Amino acid sequence: MRSSLKLSKLGWITLVYFVLSLFAYIYLSPFIRSFVASFMTWGQASKYPPEWIPNPFTLENYIKLFRLELFPRWILNTALYAGLIVAGNIMFSSMAGYAFARLKFPGRDALFSALLALLMIPIFVTLVPNYIIIYRLGLIDNIVGLALLNLANVPSTFLMRQYFLSIPQEIFDAARIDGCGPIKTFFYICLPLAKPALGAVAVYQFLGAWNAFLGPLVFLRTPENFTLPVGLSFAFQRSMWTEYTPIIAGSLVAAAPTIVLFIALNKYLIKGIVIQAGKG
Amino acid sequence: MARVFLKNVVKKFGKVVAVNHVTLEVKDKEFMVLLGPSGCGKSTTLRLIAGLETPDEGEIWIGDRLVNEIDPTKRNVAMVFQSYALYPHMTVYRNIEFPLKMARVPREERRRKVIEVAKFLGIEDLLNRYPKQLSGGQQQRVALARAIVREPEVFLLDEPLSNLDAKLRVKMRFELRRLLHDELQTTTLYVTHDQVEAMTMADRIAVMNAGKIMQVGSPIDVFEKPANIFVAGFIGVPPMSFFEGTLIEKQDSLFLDLGSVLFRIPKTYYSTLYPHVGSEIVMGIRPQDIKVTLEPQENSYEGKIVGYEPLGTETYVHFTINGTREYVAVIPRGMRISLKRKVYWTFNPHRLYFFKKSTGEAIY
Repeated sequence: MRSSLKLSKLGWITLVYFVLSLFAYIYLSPFIRSFVASFMTWGQASKYPPEWIPNPFTLENYIKLFRLELFPRWILNTALYAGLIVAGNIMFSSMAGYAFARLKFPGRDALFSALLALLMIPIFVTLVPNYIIIYRLGLIDNIVGLALLNLANVPSTFLMRQYFLSIPQEIFDAARIDGCGPIKTFFYICLPLAKPALGAVAVYQFLGAWNAFLGPLVFLRTPENFTLPVGLSFAFQRSMWTEYTPIIAGSLVAAAPTIVLFIALNKYLIKGIVIQAGKG
Repeated sequence: MARVFLKNVVKKFGKVVAVNHVTLEVKDKEFMVLLGPSGCGKSTTLRLIAGLETPDEGEIWIGDRLVNEIDPTKRNVAMVFQSYALYPHMTVYRNIEFPLKMARVPREERRRKVIEVAKFLGIEDLLNRYPKQLSGGQQQRVALARAIVREPEVFLLDEPLSNLDAKLRVKMRFELRRLLHDELQTTTLYVTHDQVEAMTMADRIAVMNAGKIMQVGSPIDVFEKPANIFVAGFIGVPPMSFFEGTLIEKQDSLFLDLGSVLFRIPKTYYSTLYPHVGSEIVMGIRPQDIKVTLEPQENSYEGKIVGYEPLGTETYVHFTINGTREYVAVIPRGMRISLKRKVYWTFNPHRLYFFKKSTGEAIY
């Protein structure tokens, strides 16, 4: 009886591991393929069936990448863009989240529902109106102008609102009795208590901004102002063909900070998911 | 220091009337307990005084100021919450200092006051700890320190002992009373649903039910002279037993006709009860005033035990009369009783309470 139980448990664990390994392989294989291809010539990388061992092993793709004069500039631009987005979201989304969670004003819930409805509008629908606004502001081809569009967004506001709702009402009442108005309560009580949620917002926004392609492609014009994803695509696209292997190498270099960030701060990402799943 | 006066205060949440035309005066330096069951409006009353809720009708006075329109930050009241509401990201020192900082008290003075209060409450060793590193009792002291350090005119305490274990609760209720009433002599409003807390701590108790004040009086007053059935049933452990029936007169004597049993009413109550002859009334007897014996006594009534709760020093006996409603008596330890056993009971003829059945009002 006991041995059959042990056997069924072993079978179950084997099945679970098999399924998990399969999924891990499916998710990781593009990354592994990119990593391997970044050390291949384009001729070998484009062969079918695909080859997995670089032959000859070459660093040519990375050399081409680092020879690009604008490569450091693009990294700086991307960092500036991501930094602005993270700072903006931490500031504005937390304020908006606080207002929606804790302040009473007419139409609050209707406004929040309207904001949530914005999530259903595809980015392409707002692309042209946004372009016109930024154009009228004279901020086309400007990282700040591009960042302006995303300084606050609905998912971050939602996440912050959910977090502020999870703080007990008595803390807010105590702060009020202790002499805090809404603004002091925000700065002295809410923001310090919201570190986990702010961490989650920062990580999400950094990842999104660092990898953003469509926005920078549309709003930036001169190569000096490009972000890394757009710059790489620009650098290795020829009129008739594209050099994919240096782009792959560039993507890996570009992804390095996000991978490090993910490993270091993945607890915040998980917390972010937990917060959003909280009460409404 | 200040008196608190509520005049005809009403607070509604949608269609629910949480506080219903409440008029209450808490005298200067008085320790007033708001006592009532859950949902009776006592916490809402406290929040109205604190300014955390706005009344729909009526006036709230603190000292000589009408505070209806005054922000809670400017009412000079301090509140201790059931969960203590300590700021989790601040140390004990910062928690206590916080209201002073918000009031822009100079740093040195803040420091002096925080240390003074911490010493007063015996928590000076905890100043560098965070709330999560404290026990329930220590957290409660910190919450008190945060309230005391502001030297408010009025203390508002919302069930501050209900999160503590039974032993600590007994200790803290004594300490709280000594601290707030005897030493600081500050006007205090204390909300609780625990009548033992109310009886042991209050100068006066305001009993609330369904948003209304049922009775205001000293602990002895509300116990000895309840104004209505609600107060009589709410105050006292175990609760008062009630016998409903018609008051009748037979051969110059008064009886309470329960249907199956006729209670002879002691003569001392005749003058107050005569006007009610023929009406439905309710007679109340506290369990401590019912005497249970195993053998018939003079003027005793028969009953049957349906349950008992031994408490060590005494036992609560639940019995029925002719299988009808259940009543409770307190018997001394050592008395040999068992389930379904026939017993005989009498009552102290000087400790009966009578109420009009129609209104629940006491007849004195």
